[in-house]
Amino acid sequence: MAQMTYREAVKTAMAEELRRDSRVLFMGEDIADMGGSQGVSKGMLAEFGPGRIRNTPISEEGIVGAAVGAAMSGLRPIVEIMYMDFTSMAMDPIVGQAAKWRYMTGGQVTIPVTIRTQGGAGWQSGSQHASMLENWFTHVPGLKVVMPSQPDDARLLLKAAIRDENPVLFVEHRDCYPRKGEVGEDPEEVGELGKGRILREGSDCTIVCWGGMPWAALEAAEQLEADDGISLEIIDPRTLQPFDLGIVLESVRKTNRCVVAHEAVTFGGFGAEVAALVQEHAFDHLDAPVLRVGEKWAPVPFAPVLEAHVVPGKAEIIEAVRSVAYATA
Amino acid sequence: MATQVKLPRLGQGMDEGKVLQWLKGEGDTIEKGDELYEVETEKVNVEVEAPAGGTVLKVLVQAGETVAIGTTLAWIGEAGEDVPAGGEDGDSSAAGSGSSAELRSSATGSTSESKPAAPAAAPAAKATPAAAAAPATRSSGGASASGRVKASPLARRMAEEQGVDLSSVQGSGPDGRVVARDLEGAVQAAASATAAPAAAAAQPVAAGPGVERIELTSMRKTIARRLGEAWTAPSFILNRTVDMTAANALRKNMLKSVAEGEVRPTVSDILTKAAAVALRRHREMNAHWNEDSILQFEAAHVGLAVATDAGLVVPVIRDAHAKTVREIAADRKVLVDKARNGKLQPMDFEGGTFSISNLGMMGIDSFTAVLNPPQAGILAVGATVDTPVVVDRRVEIRPIMTISLTCDHRTVDGAVGARFLQTLVQHLEDPTSML
Repeated sequence: MAQMTYREAVKTAMAEELRRDSRVLFMGEDIADMGGSQGVSKGMLAEFGPGRIRNTPISEEGIVGAAVGAAMSGLRPIVEIMYMDFTSMAMDPIVGQAAKWRYMTGGQVTIPVTIRTQGGAGWQSGSQHASMLENWFTHVPGLKVVMPSQPDDARLLLKAAIRDENPVLFVEHRDCYPRKGEVGEDPEEVGELGKGRILREGSDCTIVCWGGMPWAALEAAEQLEADDGISLEIIDPRTLQPFDLGIVLESVRKTNRCVVAHEAVTFGGFGAEVAALVQEHAFDHLDAPVLRVGEKWAPVPFAPVLEAHVVPGKAEIIEAVRSVAYATA
Repeated sequence: MATQVKLPRLGQGMDEGKVLQWLKGEGDTIEKGDELYEVETEKVNVEVEAPAGGTVLKVLVQAGETVAIGTTLAWIGEAGEDVPAGGEDGDSSAAGSGSSAELRSSATGSTSESKPAAPAAAPAAKATPAAAAAPATRSSGGASASGRVKASPLARRMAEEQGVDLSSVQGSGPDGRVVARDLEGAVQAAASATAAPAAAAAQPVAAGPGVERIELTSMRKTIARRLGEAWTAPSFILNRTVDMTAANALRKNMLKSVAEGEVRPTVSDILTKAAAVALRRHREMNAHWNEDSILQFEAAHVGLAVATDAGLVVPVIRDAHAKTVREIAADRKVLVDKARNGKLQPMDFEGGTFSISNLGMMGIDSFTAVLNPPQAGILAVGATVDTPVVVDRRVEIRPIMTISLTCDHRTVDGAVGARFLQTLVQHLEDPTSML
């Protein structure tokens, strides 16, 4: 095991898979010399060369389209979309092509493309560089959506995504990059898509959260324990599509309460799907309505004060958990 | 003019009381006679009714506070009416109406130290934050004006499982929603209500209107202690029905030859004999739980539960396995007479290895008995009832008796009890098998 950041874990996963399988290559804007806008792929060009670490023009539709074509002809490309907001420009290659081909060809053609992207507010990046849009993609049959919060999961699940025969959207939250953790070193070790993880065991309330929110939830849990005596169980599903409903239901049947937290806008978010599933499958176990924590109904503002107001965090989690635990006066 | 609610004297020797909870809050509209608050005295918890109707204007003594009798607890009057901050200017006659308030001992009536009082107090304390948050909108119980009870799905499921009426539960959630914690309180309260008669027997209770105080006899104390102990033993219950055709015929035959002055054998005596013989064959059942060991006995000393005016006693037929049914009948007569006359000596009721409790003669179809520790088992015997049964693919009317064996699971396992019952049933259905 080695101590490394989430950022290093992502790079390690890509490097290990490039070493293992010559069909794997990596494309994106400024990912070669510069190492990407978040510095994730720094140094990869030196090891793998410009044939496999390829800078592209600023054209998301072109990047993903090229990757889909490369996958059809036998390669296993990884592409990086610099900000999640920019996936809007690659919607047809992702949703219209990558997600559909395996189905429409009766399995004759597979599209093993991994689309890495990152996002997250709190950096005054403005409305066009701060959105979390995972629910756009969880809604598309044919796509897998992976969104781990922990460094070890980032490595193992990115490797699993690269080896998967289906197109996988791999979403990294910007808050996670500097987070450190113990990460394994066996290059053959791979994670399993569709399995959640209990980040913290608790008995009074379940919180299902992903992206950067588990880190806020871990802090909230400490405060809730100290101030209110509420024991919070934190579940990171790690993969949203396919979704590990079992681990959530087992927890809710134990705690009888559930909060779902994501940074994406609350209304119509994936949290609504989780809330619906929980009430459908664990109705008789609920002692309170399932609450959602998410972004307020606004484009992410640039002004720091407004941004802090709109974007959810520890305080919003604490408020929601207190509410479902009937701990508010 | 506003009326004071004063803490009444709820019994002899009461000097002060603790307000456990307010059943109505400030702003609530009440009728005279509505239950207004619950008070705990040294002896009992009592729900006290409002001395007047109107609006609860001001609550002066909060839940949890202990005050002297006569203290003004609250004011009732017309909405918006001004009231003094204290009780000094009030109508002194209100105190009288307070003290004459009709008392209703709560189901948890007991001393404040005893266990049942604690669960009653706990939900009250839990409910306090919600009461403080929304006193005006809080309705009685979980039911809203429309009659629909607001409750969480979990609370509904718990209520159904525990047989609790949700409308009787005070909800502590938003808008009076009944949530799981309220029901935990209700279930505990129900449990303590069930336990109340036992608690009342074990502890002195304050005398009051309609309550007769009965001092405990030492026998009552012993029953309470021993059955309390028995209740802590992990037990299981096995039921069988027995066709009593042959046993009844045997008794009839025996009656033909009963001499003048001899005790007439009953079916119970045959049952005692059958049980004793079966116990000899299944020694595991003829045993005592000895905490660090199990004591198995060769001889079957069968205890018979006997109801007396003073209470339950269990005199023992010694060496029942070695006695004839007539000898058992003779012993039984002597012991029962002694028991009814209070003449039993310790040797008459000590050393039993098994017990039989028979309520069949009182028309009980079937029941389960509480263990008689340290014995491994006790047999509960119901009435023998003519019942249509299938015999050789034809429906026949047969005298059927239901028996129920309660076993101490620390001493024996289910299969042991089942085998014992099987043998016992065989002996009763075919008495020659006892020979």
